[in-house]
Amino acid sequence: MKDLSVRNVSMVYELPKGGSVQALHDVSFDLEAGRLLTLLGPSGCGKTTLLNIVAGFLAPSGGSVELGGTPITGPGQERGMVFQQGALFEWQNVAQNVAFGPRMNRRKRSETKALVNGLLNTVGLTGFGDKAIYELSGGMQQRVALARCLANEPEVILMDEPLGALDALTREKMQGLILKLWKETGKTIILVTHSVEEALFLGDKLFVMAPRPGRIEKAYELPFAEVGLSTDPRKLKASAEFIEKREELLSMIWGMEEQIMGHEGGMS
Amino acid sequence: MSEHVPAPVAGSPVEDAKPSRFGRRRSMQRRKTVTFGDASDVTTSKGWMLVSLGGLFLLWWWFTRGPEPILDEKTFPSPFATWDAFVDWWRDGYRRASAWEHASASLSRVLKGMLIGTIIGIPVGFAMGLSRVLRGIFDPIVELFRPVPPLALLPMFIMWFGIGEESKVNLLVWASVWVMIIASRAGVLGVSGSKVHAAYSLGANKWQILRYVILPNALPEVFTGLRVALGVSWGTLVAAELVGAEKGLGASIYIASRFFRMDIVLMNIVIIGVIGALMDLVMRLLESRLIPWRGKS
Repeated sequence: MKDLSVRNVSMVYELPKGGSVQALHDVSFDLEAGRLLTLLGPSGCGKTTLLNIVAGFLAPSGGSVELGGTPITGPGQERGMVFQQGALFEWQNVAQNVAFGPRMNRRKRSETKALVNGLLNTVGLTGFGDKAIYELSGGMQQRVALARCLANEPEVILMDEPLGALDALTREKMQGLILKLWKETGKTIILVTHSVEEALFLGDKLFVMAPRPGRIEKAYELPFAEVGLSTDPRKLKASAEFIEKREELLSMIWGMEEQIMGHEGGMS
Repeated sequence: MSEHVPAPVAGSPVEDAKPSRFGRRRSMQRRKTVTFGDASDVTTSKGWMLVSLGGLFLLWWWFTRGPEPILDEKTFPSPFATWDAFVDWWRDGYRRASAWEHASASLSRVLKGMLIGTIIGIPVGFAMGLSRVLRGIFDPIVELFRPVPPLALLPMFIMWFGIGEESKVNLLVWASVWVMIIASRAGVLGVSGSKVHAAYSLGANKWQILRYVILPNALPEVFTGLRVALGVSWGTLVAAELVGAEKGLGASIYIASRFFRMDIVLMNIVIIGVIGALMDLVMRLLESRLIPWRGKS
């Protein structure tokens, strides 16, 4: 298992009409293997940028990211990715989508088949291997995306608002599935979300990020993910401790949003 | 007090639910109050298709052979005259060539032109979609040459490629290649960033991204290109066979017109129309077979 180390990462976007935006400023943190980190913050705080830098899709304008001591210079299969939606291959069926990674690595067909069946079992899609992607609901499609990502045995799983497009009930069910996968596989997960409740419930570590320039405003160590599977999630989310944290985070983020609005109002 | 059974009211939903004359519509569709502009029901009324075709024939008959015909049969042949011309053509052929020889001469020209146009068009379109530099180089060429109608090029093509088959096929290559380039480019550029990113994170290399993500993702657009190019090529056929062709549906039109055989001219026009419609039908069937995911993501 490999730890992730983010050192003084900055990201400056040049605007096409001149000028620049500081999407991330001097972000540093260490993430031990096996943690579930959630990134929360208003739009423009750089949380997706940070995720894309760790994934290797973006090269930071300053600083470095290392996984187990090896610098990250591009995308790689030790860092799996789950997107909000639209990243599955519609021309392939469910099983072929899940088998994509092993196939790219030229793994044996028989091995892959067993692996795919096992993974479909894990995400609750037993018997759906032959279905076309467009025949599945949004929640089931995200289950396929999770299975596809797991098929390559990544060290770290990066999730960019994986449940953002789902309805509230499906979302709660899927949160349970993510917790279950995290517990069973022991993988490191970084999950970007807009939902305060989701960030609290899933994260055993949580960063609240702030915009202009994008940075980590506050870090939390949270107890909820640890007990999230053994306790009734609704009860947990209704507990005094959870609600207190939720309101604290909400008012913090509201404050940031108001600041942005005020700032923009002042400029125009 | 006796039970009061309400009499069925005219126009009630129950009464309305009987199938209409031109085939039953799905009950869900019938219950919709807003149908104007509703694109979710893409079925076509078969009944009205027959009415449309029948009406067309009736008008044709009325103006040429009706009680008071206003069109001269010499310049605008009636359905009967056209049918007779078709029967003659089918049985004896035309100008020492059988019906099949004429049709297959035209078809093979169009298919050859399409094949070459596609073989050139897809790689060029893909190159334009994948590389900024190549997009810059090819874009002015495509935009400049695409609007030039094939007929305008005929004199030069005959000078360059001779009066035989080569100039005709090349004209049809011209008609199809630009469509194929533009469709392929659009198909490549239409791939979503998250699909490509996901594939990289799953360990795919550049070649595998091209083969297993970009290519299949572009298929629907490429197929639309094929359909449009086939239509355009078939429509260019008459121009391509304008000079120096003895066989072919377009060539037959020119030859017949020189002898004022408008019945044969019109018959060939109808044949061109029918074959064009049939080809598009085949393409649509192929599309639903080969690209079932189209428009469903």
